[in-house]
Amino acid sequence: MADTRFVNQKMVGTSVVPDEAIPLVEGEGRFLNDIRLPGMYHAAFLRSQHAHARILSIDAGAARQMPGVIQVMTGKEMLGKVDPFESMPNRFSGGQSTQHWLAVEKVRFVGEAVCVVVAEDRAIAEDAIDLIEVEYDPLPAVTDPRLGEKDDAPLVHETCPNNYLIKRDYERGNVDEAFEKAHLVVKRAFSIGRKQALCLEGRGCVAAYRESAFTLTMWMSHQLPYVVRHYLAKHLRLGEHEVRVIAPHTGGGFGQKASIYPEEFVCAHLALGLRRPVKWVEDRLENMVASTHARDQQIELAAAVDDQGRILALDSNVWVDVGAYSTYLWSAGMEPLQTAGLMPGPYQIEALRYVTRGVATNKTPVGPYRAVGRPSASASLELLIDDAARRLDIDPVEMRLRNLIPGEKMPYRNANNLVHDNVNYVPCLKLTAAKAEYDKLRAEQAQASDNGKLRGIGVACFAELTGLGTSTAVGPGTLLQPGRDAVTLRLETTGVLTIAAALPSQGQRIMTAMTQVAADELGIKLSDITGLTNDTAMAPYGFGTFASRTAVFGSGAVIKAARELRRRILALAAHLMEVPETDLTIVDSVVQTVDRAKTMTLREMTDQSYFSAKHIPEDLNPGFEVTSFYDPKFGSFAAGAHTVVVDVDPQTGHVEIVRYVAAEDVGTIINPAVVEGQIIGGIAQGIGEALMEELVYDADGQPKTVTLADYTIPSALEIPTIELHHANTPSAALGGFKGCGEGSIIGAVGAVACAVADALNRNGGDITAFPATPERVLTGLGVLPTDS
Amino acid sequence: MAREKTIQVTVNGRAFEKTVSVRRSLADFIREDLHYTGTHLGCEHGVCGACTVSMNGRSVRSCLTLAVQADGAEITTIEGLRNEDGTRHPIQQAFLEGFALQCGYCTPGFLITAIEFLEENPDPTEAEVREALSGNLCRCSGYQAIVDAVMSMSGKPAPENA
Ligand code: FES
Ligand code: FES
Repeated sequence: MADTRFVNQKMVGTSVVPDEAIPLVEGEGRFLNDIRLPGMYHAAFLRSQHAHARILSIDAGAARQMPGVIQVMTGKEMLGKVDPFESMPNRFSGGQSTQHWLAVEKVRFVGEAVCVVVAEDRAIAEDAIDLIEVEYDPLPAVTDPRLGEKDDAPLVHETCPNNYLIKRDYERGNVDEAFEKAHLVVKRAFSIGRKQALCLEGRGCVAAYRESAFTLTMWMSHQLPYVVRHYLAKHLRLGEHEVRVIAPHTGGGFGQKASIYPEEFVCAHLALGLRRPVKWVEDRLENMVASTHARDQQIELAAAVDDQGRILALDSNVWVDVGAYSTYLWSAGMEPLQTAGLMPGPYQIEALRYVTRGVATNKTPVGPYRAVGRPSASASLELLIDDAARRLDIDPVEMRLRNLIPGEKMPYRNANNLVHDNVNYVPCLKLTAAKAEYDKLRAEQAQASDNGKLRGIGVACFAELTGLGTSTAVGPGTLLQPGRDAVTLRLETTGVLTIAAALPSQGQRIMTAMTQVAADELGIKLSDITGLTNDTAMAPYGFGTFASRTAVFGSGAVIKAARELRRRILALAAHLMEVPETDLTIVDSVVQTVDRAKTMTLREMTDQSYFSAKHIPEDLNPGFEVTSFYDPKFGSFAAGAHTVVVDVDPQTGHVEIVRYVAAEDVGTIINPAVVEGQIIGGIAQGIGEALMEELVYDADGQPKTVTLADYTIPSALEIPTIELHHANTPSAALGGFKGCGEGSIIGAVGAVACAVADALNRNGGDITAFPATPERVLTGLGVLPTDS
Repeated sequence: MAREKTIQVTVNGRAFEKTVSVRRSLADFIREDLHYTGTHLGCEHGVCGACTVSMNGRSVRSCLTLAVQADGAEITTIEGLRNEDGTRHPIQQAFLEGFALQCGYCTPGFLITAIEFLEENPDPTEAEVREALSGNLCRCSGYQAIVDAVMSMSGKPAPENA
C-alpha cells in the first residue's frame, strides 16, 4: 500500500491498492485445495442418479476390500450418531423437511450424497465409489411446482403437505378498493430459470482432529466461519470452544458458500472417528448438482394504476421451485418471501397483497445467491411498469419518476413495512437518464434502423436493503438472526495496528476497507496496519460475509474500537510526553502536539507501554487491545438505476448489449475501485442471468446442465463496457456506509429484461420467460411457435 | 500400455524428473507432485481456463493435458512469472494496481493467456483483448478491470517470461 499521503488526506474514499491481493496475483494464495496435512485422507461421495427413489439396499463390500480404502459409510450407519438438518415447520403451511447428511431410505434429487468413501487418495476413493452397488426403487418425481402443489401430487416429504415447504399470504392497505377504482389494471406473467452461483472454485474442506488446542479444526471454503463453528458443534455434539473454523482464500461465494451442506459435516464426523485429517474438494460436476441452485420462479403480477400513471396497489402470486430440502439455516423461505415481500422495491406502494409459495421438488435445493429474490421481483415489476406506461402513453422514465419514493417523503414506510431513508432513488434515475442521453436514445430508436436489428431500451430502478442489524428480521423460518459483529484492534509492541475480524472476503477486500477506516480514525499509516481474518481462533465473533453487510459491520466496529483505542493512546502519550492530552493528535503513526513541538512515534509509545510498564501508572496503561461489537440496528437502503440499450437480431434471436449506463447510490464509499469492481461484477452476473444462464431438468428430474459447456456464463465478449456513475448519499450507519455487493445484479436483470421486451415490442412481440435465449426471443417474435 | 512413465520437464526454470501415472493430468502433476498450487482448477473439462499454463511458449489447458504429454517441455506457471529480482512481472503489477482480480481464482489463467497474447499482439484494440480473453472465465469482475489491465500494457515492450 502507498506509504505517503498528503497531510489530512483521508483514506476513506481513496482507491488504495489492496495488499491482500498480492499473494493472489503472485500465485501464492492458499485456497482450500492447496491445503495438505500429514496423514491426510481423501473423501469422495457416491451420489444419487435418481431424482426420487427408495433405497432398497447398498452393497459396499467390494469397495471396502479395495486396497487404499480406509472407510465406507452409509446414511444408516451414521443414524443416531449425528443430528440431521431439520428445518423449522413453516408457520403457515406446516411444511417441514429433514435432510440426512447421507440419504437414508429415500433419495430426493440427482446428486444427493448416498455414501462416502475415505481412501488414501482421491483417485482410489473415486474408483471405490464405482464399486458400490445401490438398489433403488424409483418413485414418481415432482419437477414442476404448479403440478407439485396439487392435492394428488406425489410428496417429496411426508411432512410437507402439497409440497409446500413454505406458503404465505400477506395483505396490507386496501388492495381490492385500489383495483376497483383504478383507471388501468395491468397484468403480467414472468418466469426466470434456475441459476447457479458458479463460484469458479467449488466447495471443499479439510477436517482435522486435534490440531493444536482444538478437537476439530475445519478449513472450509465458506463465507461464515463462526456460523459454521456453531453448527458443527451443535450437530457433532461438541462444545463450540472445541471447534476452530478457518476460511482460506475462497474462489467466489455469492451466497452459495453461506449455507450449511452435508458433505463438509460428514468429513468432520469421519475425521473425528478416524483421528486423521479428511479432505474433500467438490469437482465441477458435483458442484452443478450438489451445491445450492437459485431463483427458479414464476410470478403473476397485477398493478392498479391511476390515470396519472401512479401505482395504487400491487397484487402478486409467486411460485418458487425450491428443490428437495429446505436449505439449511436460511430455509426454503428465502426466495419466496423476498421475491414477493420486496416486490415494491424503490416505489411508493400503499397497498400490497401477495401469496407466495416455496414448492418442494426433486431437484437440488435452492439457496441464497447474490440479491436473493429481488432480481425477479424487480424485473417483473419493471416490465409491468413499461406495459402500463405504453398503455397510458407516458414515457417509461417519467412513469418511474412519478412512482419512486422522493427524498422529501422520507422516511417513507412502504406497504411491505420497510422504511426508506437516506437513499437517492430519484437522483439515480435522473443521473442514468442524463448520462445515457435517454431522450436522444429514444429519438434514435424511433428512426428505422438500417442494420435489420430491433433496438430496445430498458431502464430499471432498484432498492437494495443492506447491512441489516438486529431490528430487521431476515425472515420466518431462518434459523439464524444475525446482527452484531466484532472487530479487535491491537497495537503491537512495534506500534503496528492489527485488525482481527471473522469477516472473510471472497474478493470484496473487506480487510482493505477496514484498514482504510482505521487509518482515518487513528491517524496510523496504512503500511503500519495489518489484518487477521477468517479464523475463529484468531478473530472475535462475527456472523461473516453475506447480504451486503460486511463492510458496514466491519467498518462500524472498527470505528467504535478505534475511538476507545485512540482515547487510550492519547492518555498514555500525554503522560509520557508531559503535555495535556487535549494538545495531542496522531498523524502518520506519530503522536504529536498540534504545533509539532513534541512528537512520539506510536512505536516508542507501545514499546514503553509493553516493556517499561513498571514506570507507568497502571490506570494509564490498560493495554492496547480493544474489541468492539457493532450493530447498525436497522438496514440501510442502497439504490441504483440502470439504462440498457440492446440490439435484437430478429433472424437469430441474438441479443447484443450496445450500451450500459448505471447510476448507483452506495453511501459513503471506502475504496472506489473496489466498489466499482463489485458493481460491475454484479452487473455481469445480471446480464448472464437475464440472457444466458439456466439450469435445465427434464420431466423425470434429470439435470441436463452439468458442465460449463451446458451452463454458460458470460465471457469478456458478452459483457460490454459498463459506464458507471454515482449519486451517493450517506446512510445512518456509522461512517455513512452502505453495502454494495448485491444491488447491481438487481438492476441488471430488470434493465436487460425491459430492453429486450422493448425491442420485441417494436415488432409486436413480447417476452415473459427468462433468460432471453435466442429461442425464447424468436418465440416472443412469433418466429417460433409458443410451445417450442 | 505401461501405467507409469518417467518424464523430464522444466517448470519455472527448474528441471524435474518424475515418474507419473499415465492418466495423471498436467494440472494434478504441477499442483500435487511439484507443489505449484498457483495453477487452479475451475472445471477440469477445458472450459474455464483457470488451469492455463504456458508450455513451450503456448498457453495450454493443464486439465486437458496429460503430464506425459509434457515430457521434455518447458512450462511456466503463475509462480514463474516474477522477475529474477523477485519483483512482480509487469502484467502482475498491472492486475494488482488495476484491481483486476477479486477472488483471484481465475487470475493465473488470465495472466498466462494475456502474456502469450501480448507477445503476439503488443498493441491490441479493446475488441482484440476481449476476444483473446474470451476463453477464460471470471465470475467476479465483469471483465472490465481485467481488460483495462491488459490494455494498459499495450505499446509497452513485450514482457518476457522468467
Ligand atoms: S480447469 Fe481446465 S479449463 Fe477449467
Ligand atoms: S476474480 Fe473471481 S473468478 Fe475471477
